[in-house]
Amino acid sequence: MDLTREEESILIGEKGAGAQKAMELVVALGKVYGAENLVDITSAHLSGASYKTIGDGGLKYLEDMVAGGAKVSVLSTLNPVGMDRDRWKEMHITPEFAEKQLRIIDLYGRMGIKTTCSCTPYTGDNVPKFGDHIAWAESSALSFANSYIGARTNREGGPGALAAAILGKTANYGLHLDENRKPTVVIDAEIDGSFFSHSLLGQAVGMAIGGRVPYYRGIKPTLEDAKTMAGAMAASGSVALFHVEGTTPEASKFDVSGLETIHIGKEEIQAAYDKLNTTDDIQLIALGCPHLTVKEVKDIAAFLKGKKKVNKDVEIWFCTSTSVRDQCPDEVRILEQFGLVLADTCMVVSPIEGTFQRTGTNSAKAGNYLPTLCSQKTMCRDISALMEVVL
Amino acid sequence: MIIKGRSISPGIAKGKVIKYDEAFSFLGGVDTSTGDLRVADGNIAGKVFVFPKGKGSTVGSFVMYDLMVHGTAPVAVINRSAETIVTTGAVISSIPMVDMIDTDILRDGDIVSVNGTDGSISIETARYIRTVSSAIMVKGRVLVLHRPDTARSFPGAHSLVSGKIEPGESAEDAAAREIMEETRIPVDKADRVLEPFYVREKDIVWEVTVFLYILDSAEPVLNEENVAFEWLTPEQLKADPKAVTGVPGALDRLLNIQ
Repeated sequence: MDLTREEESILIGEKGAGAQKAMELVVALGKVYGAENLVDITSAHLSGASYKTIGDGGLKYLEDMVAGGAKVSVLSTLNPVGMDRDRWKEMHITPEFAEKQLRIIDLYGRMGIKTTCSCTPYTGDNVPKFGDHIAWAESSALSFANSYIGARTNREGGPGALAAAILGKTANYGLHLDENRKPTVVIDAEIDGSFFSHSLLGQAVGMAIGGRVPYYRGIKPTLEDAKTMAGAMAASGSVALFHVEGTTPEASKFDVSGLETIHIGKEEIQAAYDKLNTTDDIQLIALGCPHLTVKEVKDIAAFLKGKKKVNKDVEIWFCTSTSVRDQCPDEVRILEQFGLVLADTCMVVSPIEGTFQRTGTNSAKAGNYLPTLCSQKTMCRDISALMEVVL
Repeated sequence: MIIKGRSISPGIAKGKVIKYDEAFSFLGGVDTSTGDLRVADGNIAGKVFVFPKGKGSTVGSFVMYDLMVHGTAPVAVINRSAETIVTTGAVISSIPMVDMIDTDILRDGDIVSVNGTDGSISIETARYIRTVSSAIMVKGRVLVLHRPDTARSFPGAHSLVSGKIEPGESAEDAAAREIMEETRIPVDKADRVLEPFYVREKDIVWEVTVFLYILDSAEPVLNEENVAFEWLTPEQLKADPKAVTGVPGALDRLLNIQ
């Protein structure tokens, strides 16, 4: 790998043990992917925040990083954690779990990371610009940043993104390079245009194309639609970048004539729906995967206003970020008559399997991960159909 | 003997090999309090852990850190091809790691030194013999020699023109000498050469450097080291069950060098 003199000096330990360790990791990962050099980044977004997923090994790793004086050098935000840091008791979280989770948040904070704990940092806390090189973990957020914003990142892992945040650099390969951002397959989409249909579209496309770069025709996704599509495609496949004709900023650059075209219509959407629906009988409705935006909170509040929750056996979680929760106090009051408006967390990274076995969601991303990470059976419907269970 | 791979995680360590022959996930694959494998017999604590590549959840990186904290981590890791989970785990846990090593040349119980800084390993318990193996091609067919059933190494096998490198001799000189001794075919400069590869046979590791000579014609005259010869296409050699391990693949690489 071609390192600058300064990068070399970090690698041999002249700038301290913490920076050296970070450089060792960035260089090792660069080798694995055949990177020729490093690239400066403007921001990082870190995963590996829930105690449920990183465990005691991850906690000790963070303790040691902080003890070694690690500090990030670029704007860095953190993914959702295993609980709302204030309302964890209402989420049936044990005090032991809460203590370790709060410790993890504190450790990330000490390294200079904004502990907003959201998977949608691009809505306010960490907004990259077109063409920015960034090092983001969290598959839905990084795909959104690549696609809807036109920033450049690979699918970073937690420690790799942290190392990049410390150095302000990451290995230059994959989606940092022009040639890998070209679409490789055209998706001819035929959906009803609702938010939920975009989630199922993402599910169907991820199932069909794995990790290729799709170029969509026939849709005009809003920010919210793109958010749920990005999450779904990254979970059912490993898509990290997609283009939408007439919508995403790089789409017009490419000539897609001659590419394979896949039609996604009624039949494929139904197959995606069937895969995500494994129960009709749910104990929890969880919305906000990825985290609810201000618009979604307002839409849900408008839908629920004047209605009454009849079925008290089913809990409802509305998962969002602290900043969104703070921005719409009136709507939050309406939502709170139906369930908990939670910040910092979501149903996928929280240990819900201790309390629930069957969960309803409007997110194809959650529909993929709830069975594997939380041992849940799932009902995947749009919000009005989910709410029929309780109204 | 030094075998070159690629540096992944720096540091130097030595230990006894424990080998797992499939892609390995640290999450679920090992008990962090003891180092006992859950997917096979054996314990990786303090050992050189050899497996083809990592797989599974990214949490596996933190499981490696947990092993290190518990003192149950391997002293080093050797992979055929590194991926991000094990790479990340090895680096953050300061476990030396080398990849691009043909893991077939390592055996359970070998004592191996791993140099993660320069990306090499050394098998202390194996003998190491440097050899050359030459493919003589005439009109798209390669000369294959049949070894006698009484040969000490690779009895009855079908091989290229092969032999040991003498002390002080260059590999290419050894190749020309062996060709002359075994076939009486005169050759000049080799047309192509491969980086050495390695074949394990009991406690011996054979280092094999493969040369390609393209000739217009050749009339082999055998000595007592071989009992017969034949001219095979590369495809026929690939399909030959008696071909020495690694030889058809090496010929493939040799013919496909750009």
